[in-house]
Amino acid sequence: MPPFDLVAPSTPEEAIATLRTRPSGEVRVVAGGTDLLLDVDAGRIHPTTVVSLRRLPWRTLDWNGPALTIGSTLPLRALENDPDVRVRIPGLYQAVKAVGSVALRHRATLGGNLGRSAPASDLIPMLLALEAEVDLLGPDGARALPLDRFVKASRATELGPFELIRSVRIPEARPSAYLWQRVRPANDISQIAVAIAYSPRTNGWTVAVGGVPPRPRLFPEAGAVLGVGAPTPEAIQKAADRATRAVRLVSDRRASEEYRRHLVGTLLARAVRAAAAPEEFHR
Amino acid sequence: MTSAPLTLTVNGRPERLEGVPGGERLLDALRWRLGLKGTKEGCRSGDCGACTVLVDGVSVLSCLTLVHDVDGSRVTTIEGVAREPIGNAVRAAFDRAGALQCGYCTPGFVMALTGLLNERGTAAPLDELLDGLQGNLCRCTGYAAIVRAIALAQEAIR
Ligand SMILES: Cc1cc2nc3c(=O)[nH]c(=O)nc-3n(C[C@H](O)[C@H](O)[C@H](O)COP(=O)(O)OP(=O)(O)OC[C@H]3O[C@@H](n4cnc5c(N)ncnc54)[C@H](O)[C@@H]3O)c2cc1C
Ligand code: FES
Ligand code: FES
Repeated sequence: MPPFDLVAPSTPEEAIATLRTRPSGEVRVVAGGTDLLLDVDAGRIHPTTVVSLRRLPWRTLDWNGPALTIGSTLPLRALENDPDVRVRIPGLYQAVKAVGSVALRHRATLGGNLGRSAPASDLIPMLLALEAEVDLLGPDGARALPLDRFVKASRATELGPFELIRSVRIPEARPSAYLWQRVRPANDISQIAVAIAYSPRTNGWTVAVGGVPPRPRLFPEAGAVLGVGAPTPEAIQKAADRATRAVRLVSDRRASEEYRRHLVGTLLARAVRAAAAPEEFHR
Repeated sequence: MTSAPLTLTVNGRPERLEGVPGGERLLDALRWRLGLKGTKEGCRSGDCGACTVLVDGVSVLSCLTLVHDVDGSRVTTIEGVAREPIGNAVRAAFDRAGALQCGYCTPGFVMALTGLLNERGTAAPLDELLDGLQGNLCRCTGYAAIVRAIALAQEAIR
């Protein structure tokens, strides 16, 4: 068993102070632990102190008009069970449901998913398409960053050594969809995933793709082609073609580059139709 | 801090645990400290669901849960599942459907289904129950009898 001390501060200030007093590299933060404990078990990291966030008052879900703020330590299952999330941001509901299994989601958190920023994250593509902002808290106070800037590369983020993710803010509930292709529906990694959202404020579409190196990314090229309002079948086809051409893909044991290219176009077209008519899509 | 004593209510019984290291998993505390060997370790990495138990009524993977992080909670394992009406109906349904061969996955399935029914209510559609059990793997049965058990459990508690 990995020998580390577990501390559970009851305020964010105390948590940050603990991070500062321990030698970096020896201290880690844990929320649900579904990523961190696997890293410890595999010997990828060797913390001597682990700071549990379980007592912090961040298991929150706050709607404010069209905006939704999700506390970083809220279990993903609570996000999925919120009836408003399901109806108002269907793509977010679908993306959360794509993570692991029900029992995993009772512990796994959004803060942990972004803290890890795995290239295969199911939440990052959807949150990119929703133009989410990450709210960080550190020794020098709070700062907010667009998610697209927060995630730098595969497993690399803008998070400072003594900073915590406090919450994630989605500025506007949007018709949206998240579609993926996998070998197994649960506990597997998507070969390709497509997230799409429509902004009632700008009347524009945003498209993000996951399963691409080095990390999920936005495709403004594809979003622009979809134009304003409900897109025509021709526009959907054109956007799918654009994304298919623009995207950089790899072949690996999960799927060939060719198959992935095919998936990008197919899933994108389906996702647009799903976001435009969510009731036909619900399952 | 690490060795601060912690308390759990396991299958209705208050338990006080002392000297538990910070990295200890709920799975190991249940099996080796409390002797509750019904909770199984399959993969120890979140992939199989064999270690599923209930914490405050909902399913968690005990192999990826730190004991200290559930300090103060109510834990239900397969040994205590029959104490609750829903859990007992699920257990009986697996029995009646003959939904096991080696039985290694069974405690995990029974706990996961009990948790889902606790959480979603007894009117939850069969589709949703099947969908919610995708994190549980069985290497023996081919799942047909497990699907029958799920339907039986659902009928029994309606
Ligand atoms: C079997 C299995 C299946 C999985 N399937 C999927 C899947 O389908 N899709 C998917 O996207 N992910 C999946 N995951 C990965 C994982 O469950 C998610 O990334 C989860 O959201 C992580 O949350 P956590 O709270 O458990 O993170 P933790 O393990 O607690 O933390 C993860 C990392 O983030 C840091 N961290 C946590 N919280 C904060 C915070 N508030 N501020 C700063 N840093 C923080 C930690 O220090 C650590 O480095 C799977 C994992 C397993 C084991
Ligand atoms: S032992 Fe916990 S999920 Fe396999
Ligand atoms: S009965 Fe043997 S693994 Fe399911």
